[in-house]
Amino acid sequence: MSRPVLSLYRLDRAKLAELSRRLRDLLARDDRAEFASLLGLGEELAQRVREARWSVDLMLRPDGDPLVAPLFASLRRVAKRAALEHVWTSESPSLEGRLRAYDVLRDDQEIAAGVDRLLDPTRLPWFLQRPGTTGGWLDDGQRSTLASAMEGVAPSLPDEVNAFVEAFGGMDGDAIVHDGL
Amino acid sequence: MRVNRSERYRKKDGRPPLPEVTEGTSATIEDALVAREAGSMAQARAILAAIDKGQGLRTVLRAAAALEAGDEEELLELIPAVQKEEPVWQLRLQVAAVLERGAERDGLVRDATKLGAPAWSLAWVRALSSDDAERRQGLVDLLFEDAALSRTVAARDLAVPHVQADNGAIRRYAAFAHGRDVIRRFGARQVARLLERAGGRSS
Repeated sequence: MSRPVLSLYRLDRAKLAELSRRLRDLLARDDRAEFASLLGLGEELAQRVREARWSVDLMLRPDGDPLVAPLFASLRRVAKRAALEHVWTSESPSLEGRLRAYDVLRDDQEIAAGVDRLLDPTRLPWFLQRPGTTGGWLDDGQRSTLASAMEGVAPSLPDEVNAFVEAFGGMDGDAIVHDGL
Repeated sequence: MRVNRSERYRKKDGRPPLPEVTEGTSATIEDALVAREAGSMAQARAILAAIDKGQGLRTVLRAAAALEAGDEEELLELIPAVQKEEPVWQLRLQVAAVLERGAERDGLVRDATKLGAPAWSLAWVRALSSDDAERRQGLVDLLFEDAALSRTVAARDLAVPHVQADNGAIRRYAAFAHGRDVIRRFGARQVARLLERAGGRSS
């Protein structure tokens, strides 16, 4: 089994907010046909939605529940297509561990706090959270500040972290990192 | 727990004093609720007085029981502590979560909103509504405000099939639900009346 690797995405926050508004409205109105259409579901999966008491009941079930796992996967695909642009993918499965634990990063409080924020999945919308995966986001200002701080200690960082810093500092806009999209 | 009835003192208004609960007892709110449910209101009040630490749910229930019994002297002593309850919105929503839909519940929710109740707490109360559309809207709002808590509420409060409580939200859930469940057993209307008396409710 291969270990997951972190990818970096440029986030279009307005588009993600629009998708989120639409999803919230459909679930609140329990418009199952539009909900299935938004997720691009085929007939078999759309039937699962029709058979539920309410469509929101399905979204409350665990991500790994076989009945709803394909729905969550579809929703993440839709969100990714609508609001995320792939920037870079690490070649190293050890990047996350380095970011979380490398002493040079941990010893600098500002960097450590920024990295922790970047890797905090609770800062993502619920439909981009996925159990067992890593993800998080920073807005443009936070991303730029963290990238600059990390560039300042670049000579002391391992290669896989410097590759991340180069991509992270070289992009523009809000950033999402995720290893499960 | 031992309760001694003292006949030595009578209050000025002629009512007998509350039963005396001996010091060192390990009485709990549960004991007071059990006493109320058995119809022993005076004993329940005595227990609440004995375990009251001057703030929190015990004080609120003690004050509500004093109001119910018409004990103005004790009520006036306790109202300042009730008014200082923090967070100020929480007690109103815990009561609202138990009441049926109607003007009283709406008033409490309105007050809690004015007092800064967070979106998740308002969504939670809606999710407990007896009205299907309101309950669904509440669940959706809660999902978007606090997904872990929405799953815990769906599993524990609403018993939605195949939904599992999220351990990440258990502490937040317990902090609100414990008070709500105690208020339900005590009598939400009594606590609502106390809030009105304490000056914290607009109609």
